[in-house]
Amino acid sequence: MPEVDFTVEVCGMAGDGTIAAGGLINEAMSHGGFSVLGFDSYPAEIRGFGRCVTNSRIGSNEIVALGEKTHALISLNDEQSRSRTPSLAEHSLVFFDSNPPAYVPEDNSLLSVLPPGAQVFGIPFGALAVGASGASRGRNLTALGGFAAVTGVDPNLFRKVIRDKFKAKGDRVVDINVKSFDAGYEYALEKFSDRLKSIFSKIETDHDPKKVMLSGNQAIGMAAIDAGLKLYFGYPITPATPIMEYLAKYLPERGGRVVQMEDEISSIGAVLGSFYAGTRSMTATSGPGFALMTELITHGVMAEIPAVILDAQRGGPATGLPTKTEQSDLHAAVFGGPGDSARIVIAPTDVEECYHFVIRSFQLAEKYQTPVIVLTDFFLDNRVENRPLIRAMEGQAASWNVFPDEAFKDHYQRYADTPSGISPRALPGMEGFNFTATGLEHTEKGSPDYSPENHAKMSEKRHRKLRYALKDLEKPAEFFASDHLDVGVIGWGSTFGSVLEAVEKSRKNGFKVGALKVTSIFPYHSETIGAFMAKSKRVLVPELNYEGQLANLIAHLDSKPVDRLNFVTGTPIPPSAIQSRIEELLGVLA
Amino acid sequence: MKTPARVLADQVNQIQKSGRFSPRSASLPTWCPGCGYFGIHQGLNDCISSLGIPLTQIVTVSGIGCAGRYPFFSKTYGLHTVHGRALPAATGVKLGNPNLTVFAVGGDGDGLAIGGGHLPHIARRNIDVNYLLFDNSIYGLTKGQPSPSSPMGTKTKASPYGTIDKPLNATLMALAYGASFVARLFAGDPKGITEALIEGIRNPGFSIFHIYTTCVTFDKNFKTWAHLKKWTHALPQDYDPTDLGRAFNEVLKDDFSLGVIFKRDA
Amino acid sequence: MSMKRFVIIGNGPAANHAAKALRENSSESRITIFSKDPFRSYRAHLLPDFIAGLIKEEDLYNSSYAHYNEMDINLRLGQRVVSVDFSKRNVILDHKEVVPFDGLIVATGGKPRLPEQFQLFQDIMLTLKTPLDARMWVEKLSNVDSVLIIGGDLTSLSLTKALLKLHKRVKFILNDDAFWPVPLNEEIYRAVTGRLEQRGVEIVHCRRIRRITQLEENLLEVETDREILETGVLGAFFGLVPDVGFLARTGLDIDRGILVDEFLKTRFANVYAAGDCAQVYHPALRDYWVSIGHENATALGRIAALNLAGSHFEVQVKPESILEVGGVKINTSWWTEF
Ligand SMILES: Cc1cc2nc3c(=O)[nH]c(=O)nc-3n(C[C@H](O)[C@H](O)[C@H](O)COP(=O)(O)OP(=O)(O)OC[C@H]3O[C@@H](n4cnc5c(N)ncnc54)[C@H](O)[C@@H]3O)c2cc1C
Ligand SMILES: Cc1ncc(C[n+]2csc(CCOP(=O)(O)OP(=O)(O)O)c2C)c(N)n1
Ligand code: SF4
Ligand SMILES: [Mg+2]
Repeated sequence: MPEVDFTVEVCGMAGDGTIAAGGLINEAMSHGGFSVLGFDSYPAEIRGFGRCVTNSRIGSNEIVALGEKTHALISLNDEQSRSRTPSLAEHSLVFFDSNPPAYVPEDNSLLSVLPPGAQVFGIPFGALAVGASGASRGRNLTALGGFAAVTGVDPNLFRKVIRDKFKAKGDRVVDINVKSFDAGYEYALEKFSDRLKSIFSKIETDHDPKKVMLSGNQAIGMAAIDAGLKLYFGYPITPATPIMEYLAKYLPERGGRVVQMEDEISSIGAVLGSFYAGTRSMTATSGPGFALMTELITHGVMAEIPAVILDAQRGGPATGLPTKTEQSDLHAAVFGGPGDSARIVIAPTDVEECYHFVIRSFQLAEKYQTPVIVLTDFFLDNRVENRPLIRAMEGQAASWNVFPDEAFKDHYQRYADTPSGISPRALPGMEGFNFTATGLEHTEKGSPDYSPENHAKMSEKRHRKLRYALKDLEKPAEFFASDHLDVGVIGWGSTFGSVLEAVEKSRKNGFKVGALKVTSIFPYHSETIGAFMAKSKRVLVPELNYEGQLANLIAHLDSKPVDRLNFVTGTPIPPSAIQSRIEELLGVLA
Repeated sequence: MKTPARVLADQVNQIQKSGRFSPRSASLPTWCPGCGYFGIHQGLNDCISSLGIPLTQIVTVSGIGCAGRYPFFSKTYGLHTVHGRALPAATGVKLGNPNLTVFAVGGDGDGLAIGGGHLPHIARRNIDVNYLLFDNSIYGLTKGQPSPSSPMGTKTKASPYGTIDKPLNATLMALAYGASFVARLFAGDPKGITEALIEGIRNPGFSIFHIYTTCVTFDKNFKTWAHLKKWTHALPQDYDPTDLGRAFNEVLKDDFSLGVIFKRDA
Repeated sequence: MSMKRFVIIGNGPAANHAAKALRENSSESRITIFSKDPFRSYRAHLLPDFIAGLIKEEDLYNSSYAHYNEMDINLRLGQRVVSVDFSKRNVILDHKEVVPFDGLIVATGGKPRLPEQFQLFQDIMLTLKTPLDARMWVEKLSNVDSVLIIGGDLTSLSLTKALLKLHKRVKFILNDDAFWPVPLNEEIYRAVTGRLEQRGVEIVHCRRIRRITQLEENLLEVETDREILETGVLGAFFGLVPDVGFLARTGLDIDRGILVDEFLKTRFANVYAAGDCAQVYHPALRDYWVSIGHENATALGRIAALNLAGSHFEVQVKPESILEVGGVKINTSWWTEF
């Protein structure tokens, strides 16, 4: 069976229906049984202007990273699409409107900047759409029709997803959109009859009906709801805002509520307040907002109050690069804030994990009475994947809080020093367990106490609790495990997919390379990570940050220095960059 | 066999244990002797006792400051947060469990400076939190720096030549922010505080109790007991607290009239 | 002075040699090649070998894309020029793009000629000019075993070789106005028919074709004034004519091809034509001649480019090597051994 690994981009101006077209490609190919990973980029702050680009990587095997080279470019706006040409693969297919409303000077034309091997498919998108539907709005669908015809996609896949997308708007809308698609499809079949490819037509894939097309943000929102979230407190910030918007739409029907707070400080304050009162709540933010939260996060650590904070990382520092992706809040997430304030930090690596980790974060927060930080990033939040997603099982919404025994009624010690470090936690309203939660250093009872013995003892208790939490935290997963490795690559977060692909390719080239996926950032499984490092001749940690923040965290686990690959391009690390670094290291070894 | 007296004693004992009648905690307040906060403490405790709200159903939320210590001196559930953040935390507590009666307490630095950004928002959201703002016009806990409500010319170690900024008027701000219940009170009048609290707790939204108080240790010039007693007085006889326009006028012309300044008609 | 923009219409031997010479003589300029065909420049003379299965399609192409990148030539394939505005000095493309130029070389070559009487049957008669045409032949030939060729030109003779290699039955209707570009005099006619018959090709003699009927997808019936023939596929081979129709209304002087002087200049400044599309003035003959063939094309392309870059080379063709076919003067560098 021939393999498909095909990347298609749609590029246009806001208003061209670019994002919709990209979404339809993802859905159609997903229905066709392909693995799909999609990522849109558009100017998040200023809607109505600027360039929109969708990137969909479509594979017959599982796709774990973004496509590096574009095999097909669908241009809904040629001037904007000019920026896409550097990433075109050799012999890429380029679909463009061959009958634009006005003549285009060469300096603005897309075709004048294509690489020589590009195969151009001019289709009068607008004119065909007008013919099919009476308006040129459907030109994005006409373009999809052309794409489907030339690449050999079963048109019924597109017709189905177009129907699904527009059915809420009535039969007429469905009809004109299908007609627009068909117009492009038939035009291209006929016009390019001698240039048709069968890229997708000959592939047989097992379609898994359980596969759903989801973005990281949607998975996060769904998980929060499935976890029984009642309150979301947040302040708008790219790229976390879609989580708030998702919940604002779906939480009310579950009896929950989204409160847009005045800032991130109040957001985390309210989250702590509501968890203190026994109600699951969360907030999502990005670097700048996270920075504002740190004091109260350490308050959660000290007062032992659960909280769930999702940090959707973007480019930093300060306001930085709001619409770009980066993994540079790791230090802040693990260490940010005053004092010895260890808290739980976990980082999903794909959309499916976004779902499971968010559910898990509520449980961990409750059980260990501490803020749990879920680190995602722009890329992970916004990319879409079609993975089989197991929705929450029964009981995911059940509290993991450890309640005090009735026996302690009336002589309850809120911060009792137990072997696990977990002090059973009462909730307001419980008779006979009144206490004051405080961020001052306190005794087991909860009274302020700054004595050296007490601070030492309580610091130890809090950290013991965190160490104990490790047993509930996902262990690092080793891929292509073996006893000795020439290069061991450690990846985390959205970057891990690129690591996996790079390692797999290097292995196909015959190299002894392995990968370790670290999702528990703090506390971390030092023994597993250390053992992996020890058995690797070289250890490579690719990250989307300048400082090598995960590398810094784990470097001490082995005596040899860690090799780093740091990208601060604002875009995902291409697998090929990791692969060449691996092979460069191997060259050094040889 | 239990005598009726014994049964009664048991019940009283039980009720006392539950804290219903004595919101005072075992630990005595650590405030300086003569601090105005004792009066507020009394006023709030009397309100809780007289309303008979079970102490387990009350959460007292505070920030940092001498006033912020309040939860430790109360048998209610307490949430002692960080400087300035009592109101957001109280919002979370109330929304998290609407059955609870929630008090937020804090000083003028806590509520008007570092946490000043939260006041308008809890007011406009009209969250059912009862906020006691302990306004001594000084930073007590940090040993006497000027606060946002200190009058111009306030001399402290941090302002040896006198402050040059105009003070904030919390009552006026609360009115402007649209708080649905606004009272101005005096720590030297615990009874007045109790009465206003009893009325304010009934307000299903955000209630603010702006309480003039004194820091006997760090303020020898402005909000002293003597001055406050001399300056404060009741609202006019015919005062109508449901008239917002009148409330503004009153607060603009008189800084020291006490009572329920405004309550929104149900 | 800003960078000069040179545009070349065409991607055959004339165009490519022109581009190369331009780049060598003008390192700073911007050079763009347009081809309406979506594939790279190819060796036309190998098309029959490809049809015969002797070579792979890839072997038809003679330059890599990288080559154009190295030479900094913008190769724009599959993009048809539909007009040229000589007053504004713009080339206009089918997809409504306007490309300004300082210098222009037209090298659009020729296209298969179809006499008027056959134009109605255009879509059932195969021709052979491009790899695409060749692919059509390959596809057709996999389903049929007989071929009828009408016309008969140099291309058809090369193709016939391929057909015979594939063991197809080949019939030929030799049309006397068709033996382009060489005049079909008695002598050649006899030599050619003799050779063809010797190889097993059946020569059909007739004065005219009355009817062509498509019986089935792969079965055609051809009725001549003498007989009724059946064939799987029909090929039309009447030589190539300059592909310059799109320039008809632009003000260029066009007869059969684009009329240029002995320096390959058109009547517009810095506009040249070369290769199969050009009709070149011969000072000695005081007449124009049409160029045909690969060698000619490369030579003319080069001269056009050098002159555009500022030289003053004259095309050198001996008068005696210029033939006359059906009233048209021709010089061909293309001779096929058959
Ligand atoms: C099957 C076959 C076999 C041959 N064998 C031989 C042989 O053995 N020896 C020999 O000497 N000659 C042979 N020839 C002839 C030879 O190929 C031509 O003489 C030669 O290619 C002419 O070169 P040219 O550059 O002038 O034009 P061409 O090679 O015809 O190229 C013309 C170019 O112009 C482009 N073009 C045309 N119109 C437009 C437009 N409007 N916009 C954009 N682009 C346009 C075309 O796409 C093409 O790229 C053969 C021809 C054929 C078809
Ligand atoms: C973020 C932060 N900044 C500064 C402080 C130091 N600090 C503690 S209390 C306080 C001001 C106290 O004044 P006020 O709020 O009026 O309370 P009072 O002591 O007068 O009751 C300050 C500045 C702190 N605890 N946290
Ligand atoms: S310092 Fe002032 S405000 Fe603080 S307890 Fe003492 S008197 Fe009261
Ligand atoms: Mg104060």
